[in-house]
Amino acid sequence: MNGIQVTALSKNYQLGRTVVHALRDVSLEVDSGSFACIAGPSGSGKTTLLNLIGLVDEPTSGSIRIGEEDVRRLDDAARTRYRSRHLGFIFQSFNLLPVLTVFENVRLPLLLHRELPVREKQERVAELIEAVGLADHARHKPFELSGGQRQRVAIARALVTHPKLVLADEPTANLDSETGAEVLELMQRINRERHTTFVFSTHDPRIMERAGRIVRLRDGRVEA
Amino acid sequence: MERLGLCLRNLRRHGWRTRIIMLIAFFGAFLTFVFENLVEDIAVKQSDMFARGFSGHFRVLDRDVETRNSFGHYYCEPADMLSPEQVASIQGFLATQPEVSGYEERIVFTGVLYGAQDEEHGFMAMAMDMDRFDRNFTDLYYAEGRPILGAESDACAASWYEYAEHKTVAVGSSYVMLLPSPDGGFVDRLVTVTGGIDYKSLPKESLGFGGMFFDLAAFRAMTGYRRAMATEVIGFLADARTEKRVLERIRTFLAAEHPELQVVSWRYYAPIFGEIVLGFSVALKFVEAVLLFICVLLVVKLTAFAIIERYGEIGTLRAIGFGRSDIVLLFTLEGFLAIAAGVAIGFAAGTVLIAVLHRTGIANSLTFFEYVIGKGFFPSFHPQKILQTAAAFLGVSVFAPFFPALAGGRLAIVRALERR
Repeated sequence: MNGIQVTALSKNYQLGRTVVHALRDVSLEVDSGSFACIAGPSGSGKTTLLNLIGLVDEPTSGSIRIGEEDVRRLDDAARTRYRSRHLGFIFQSFNLLPVLTVFENVRLPLLLHRELPVREKQERVAELIEAVGLADHARHKPFELSGGQRQRVAIARALVTHPKLVLADEPTANLDSETGAEVLELMQRINRERHTTFVFSTHDPRIMERAGRIVRLRDGRVEA
Repeated sequence: MERLGLCLRNLRRHGWRTRIIMLIAFFGAFLTFVFENLVEDIAVKQSDMFARGFSGHFRVLDRDVETRNSFGHYYCEPADMLSPEQVASIQGFLATQPEVSGYEERIVFTGVLYGAQDEEHGFMAMAMDMDRFDRNFTDLYYAEGRPILGAESDACAASWYEYAEHKTVAVGSSYVMLLPSPDGGFVDRLVTVTGGIDYKSLPKESLGFGGMFFDLAAFRAMTGYRRAMATEVIGFLADARTEKRVLERIRTFLAAEHPELQVVSWRYYAPIFGEIVLGFSVALKFVEAVLLFICVLLVVKLTAFAIIERYGEIGTLRAIGFGRSDIVLLFTLEGFLAIAAGVAIGFAAGTVLIAVLHRTGIANSLTFFEYVIGKGFFPSFHPQKILQTAAAFLGVSVFAPFFPALAGGRLAIVRALERR
């Protein structure tokens, strides 16, 4: 995979009779293995851009290449398969399934990887839970964890399929500054050790400082 | 298995909702299971009882005899009788039919009864094997006779007067009757009533002195028939609802072997039994359909609620790689498990109830029910009905949650994530 290449990407929403231009002609490149930040104030189009790169939404125009793949050409089933194989997601609100334990939440994406032996699945999950420092909480449910711990579970879940690209939408927004810094440090460490490409969004200047590359958005456009 | 585990967890999470679905499924399955088995038993019981109580479900007789008589009973001459070979052949065929629970030969004739001033009164009479006739449910009288002595005629006239005046036929009373003789004429015989139904609810006036039954062997001896001959063979079905297909088979057999004979359904009772059973079945089917409909409605509604509540979850699952079909499967499986659990418990409870009733029997003293289903009613299990009921509930279990689940699978990921 040779990183992400976004070219002339636009996204419009129709709200009644009004057309909202969430993204206008955005072009950017993110190298493989980088720790990139999409920065900008609320409403600048950060989440929209991440959704488009993450194939959970479709652009109005423009192209997205992830590695050698022109992902805009993929149909719905292929996009779903692509997400499960190559992408990891970390959400601002963690989005863990409340009925599952930490271990089960992390293992959830592997439900779709039938080709993996059960033993390997178990080992991967255990290793990641260990890596994010939650080995003692593997049997806990999300409501028994702190915000920082929940986000670490979400990080482990995003990494369990060994994706090349992890997209994190304001991963520290719901955390206090100290916990946020810890979570970011964890992401950075994984980025260094596993060479996983991370693209995360934030509007917090302290978080931006840690990124290897910053793309600034304002009103749906990339700032020079 | 992992998906199943996830579904089970989600079911526990929606405890009250799951319990409502299970409860409705339980009641629906329980009542349907019990109703279906009971109706089947009642249908069979009714078929058997009415057929044996009256005159069977079908009659194999000479084509000419049936066409000559438009009022349901006929004057019998020896020439109309089936030969012993015909009777044996028909009985041999009926023995191979699994739906036919019994058959016998019978002589049907119109007798003449003398009243006061030697007034003649016609009546319908039958001679048959009285051991196989269910006397508990007949509205006719059975009798025995012998050649008349001259001094007995006054007593007979008194009996007839009693009947004409009070519409009662006392056991022990005697009548003079003209009965068909083997040479084509009549012989007069003294007939004494030896038994009859004890009417409890049915007005005798509405039935009148409709007919009389004789023991076949005694009748032959009394009137002088020396050969084992009968005017027809009557047959019983274990279940009156099988009448059409059985009669079709008998017709095919007769066309090949005895083209001069015909089979006719018992013209009055069989359709009535069929309609009673059908009416009962329709009423219960309606109740079952309402229960199923409520069940479907609740499952659809509650599954839809579950989906609305878990939009965010659907978005998350789709984002991490679950396909639309995975989401549909997940929610369908959840609904299915809730209904299936309720249905399984309902079937188990129904099984216990039927098993207990089968062992203890249902005793009833209500005249109507006694008349309809008899005193001893012992419900049993009917695999075909159980399979049909199970199939209906399986269909509901799968399709009721499927359609809302389909809507859940179609959600746009971004919209689902936004509505968390």
